[in-house]
Amino acid sequence: MDLSRYLSLFVGEAAEHVAGLSHGLVALEQSVSTGSDAGPVIDGIFRHVHSVKGMSASMQLDGIATLAHRAEDLVDLYRRHLARAEPAAVDALLATCDALQEMIAAAALGQKPAPDPALLDRLGALTRQALDGRAAQAEPAPGPARAPVPPPAPPLAPVLPAEPEPALKPGPRRLEVEVEVAAACPVPAVRAFLVVKKLAAFGSLVGSTPTVEELKAGRLPGKKLTVVLESADPLDRIERALSQISDLGAVVIRAQDGQVSTPARAPAAPAQPAAAESSRTVRVRTEVLDGFVDTVGELLIATARIREVGRALPPGLRPLLDEGVDRLHAIVKELHGQLMGVRMTPLAVVTERLPRIARDVARKLGRQVEVEVQGAEIELDRAILEELSDPLLHLLRNAVDHGIEPPHLRLLAGKPATGRITISARRDRDRVVLEVADDGKGMSAGRLREAAVRRGALDAEQAAALTEREALALATLPGVSTAEEVTDVSGRGVGLDAVRKTLETVGGTLELESTRGLGTRITLRLPLTVAVQPVLLVRVGEEVLGLPIAKVHGAVQVLYGALDRSRGAPVLPYDGELVPVHDLAALLGFDSAGRDERAVVVADGADGRIGLVVDGLLGQHEAVLKPLGPPLQAVSGLSAVTVLGTGRPVFILDVTRLLAA
Amino acid sequence: MGTAPAELPAPPTGRQVVFSVGTERFALPLSAVREVVPPLPPFARVPRAGGAVRGVMNLRGRVVAVVDLAELVGLPPQPLLSGHGQVLILDREKRAMGLLIGVVLGVELLAPAAEGGEGVVAGVAVGRAGAVTLLRVEPLAAAAAALFGGG
Repeated sequence: MDLSRYLSLFVGEAAEHVAGLSHGLVALEQSVSTGSDAGPVIDGIFRHVHSVKGMSASMQLDGIATLAHRAEDLVDLYRRHLARAEPAAVDALLATCDALQEMIAAAALGQKPAPDPALLDRLGALTRQALDGRAAQAEPAPGPARAPVPPPAPPLAPVLPAEPEPALKPGPRRLEVEVEVAAACPVPAVRAFLVVKKLAAFGSLVGSTPTVEELKAGRLPGKKLTVVLESADPLDRIERALSQISDLGAVVIRAQDGQVSTPARAPAAPAQPAAAESSRTVRVRTEVLDGFVDTVGELLIATARIREVGRALPPGLRPLLDEGVDRLHAIVKELHGQLMGVRMTPLAVVTERLPRIARDVARKLGRQVEVEVQGAEIELDRAILEELSDPLLHLLRNAVDHGIEPPHLRLLAGKPATGRITISARRDRDRVVLEVADDGKGMSAGRLREAAVRRGALDAEQAAALTEREALALATLPGVSTAEEVTDVSGRGVGLDAVRKTLETVGGTLELESTRGLGTRITLRLPLTVAVQPVLLVRVGEEVLGLPIAKVHGAVQVLYGALDRSRGAPVLPYDGELVPVHDLAALLGFDSAGRDERAVVVADGADGRIGLVVDGLLGQHEAVLKPLGPPLQAVSGLSAVTVLGTGRPVFILDVTRLLAA
Repeated sequence: MGTAPAELPAPPTGRQVVFSVGTERFALPLSAVREVVPPLPPFARVPRAGGAVRGVMNLRGRVVAVVDLAELVGLPPQPLLSGHGQVLILDREKRAMGLLIGVVLGVELLAPAAEGGEGVVAGVAVGRAGAVTLLRVEPLAAAAAALFGGG
């Protein structure tokens, strides 16, 4: 049977469980160190591991199932209070998490990854150790002690342990299996289909309600499935096989001979808090959503086009058309808004993994760190979240590496040995404010001044004249850093300036506050959505181009020939500084109209302000930005394209990369 | 099967879109062609793009880059003008690219009479109106994409 159509579903769900697992393990470690009750955390961990095992077994991904099974054995000991989680075990389980993640990624490509034997051994050894440790503590048991848990030492490759062959193998009899799929399950029919498939391995199917065809069509009334099959296998064996499928509620197996098996469900069961909510949701591939956004963007453009055409109508006809177009525009705007709402994704998607990463980095550097995330439920457009992932990671690593001091220095400074990093998010009108704050050693404005002078960004006099706040902002200039030593954690050279640039591409800003000895706070302000952006339209020869308003400081009319020159190139006095001026036509490889009376747009370039000479300013425009696909994305200096109401395509320039190529 | 000679990449056979460019006839597999449209003004020039790139146009809200096929195959260049020639939109995933051609002559079942070498030309076939140069779509699209910089 072809399972490939369920693969993407599996990959998505399994990845969620692995993420949950990773999260749970970091929480476990924290609760071990604080001595708080780890019970609920361990239950959560067990549930995630169990689900991964079950779903990968149903997808016939035996390698993933085997590894998850090993991890489950170990976690089961903690769950049943037979052993306590040691740091070494948490490390091994985190390594398992990483391995599962890689294996799931490989499975997504159609591979059937095999587990790392060393990791299997490591988990097996830890399980044995935990059991031995317990055996040593326990009173000597009379007679051959029955281990409380089956020792997992031999590889559990056959997921079902071999049973002693009965003296007389019973002939096949008719079984009726009733299964109820948990309310929380997003695709109950797929689960039910997997049940039928699993049961088919035990004998011959007589029939099912609903039928297999109905299940494939996604129909499962009442989330209940009844399967009749002829099988010679014992009931508990069948029941165990079904227990590998997650999200099943009640399972009842009835035999013709009156035997009934109603197994207690494993903790994978339905008691998820979001049950009621998720039963009413559907999963949509993100590309589908992106497609909708494109289409609605085109609707906006088409509406503008109709309005444009209407201008040519005789005045008597225009009010009617305008009224219709206004209404259409309002509806499309609303649709756009709703769609943007659907694309909103909680910040948790990118913050979830941060505590784990902070822990790993801190361990490597001999620091102690606790990370707290607040406001992870706040939602942002998916496109912005994607851009946010790397900068956040970078800020976090910086905080651990350069902010938080080693424990002994913290104690000397009268602070708790464990450093604290807070990542908090809040809505502020149409923006999201995201803060990354640490209670570490802070940044030295003096050092930043020195570093900036060394880099030649400022001379000593200018540096001395800067306020404290301005001096701190120097940290976001390329190549300015006060890190005393370069470590492999934060890397060399790419620092806050890279973070700032990434943020600016989505219309965000970065601010920095720091108090020596008390810590650093970095504040990011981000727009909620990116798809519609104001641009300044300019004319170069016959061409029209757009500059993002966020990058533009202003524009002045000039006589090009009358501009002052410095070292052969024209400069423009603007706002107290001399801005180097570039001919936009020449930068783009276009012809200019060639008149002397032109305009200079002053914008933020990669290394400070630049002036761009254009032939004319056409005004501001709310542009529906379309991302550039191949082959246009290969052109440097372009960031997007938009279509005007006249149907004219207009490229939006990436000012920071205009001078680069 | 085991003793069969190593299989060569199959020559393009089957249904081909035959079209004129200048005074010559060319063909591309029908499966590689999404649609054929007239040049749709207004056009915009592509900054920093090389010779054969004629510009972009708006095809039902999709911005399509238009490359002059004549220049790609070494014939005298053609301008991108309303009412001149046709644009053959390639059916490639997520790739918004069109080739500026003369005019589509029809769809024919063609097999190459003479094998071409490596690269853009797959061979020459005898069509209804005479010799037709069969083109390979992958190298052609790659050559066109290379004009946009970045390789």
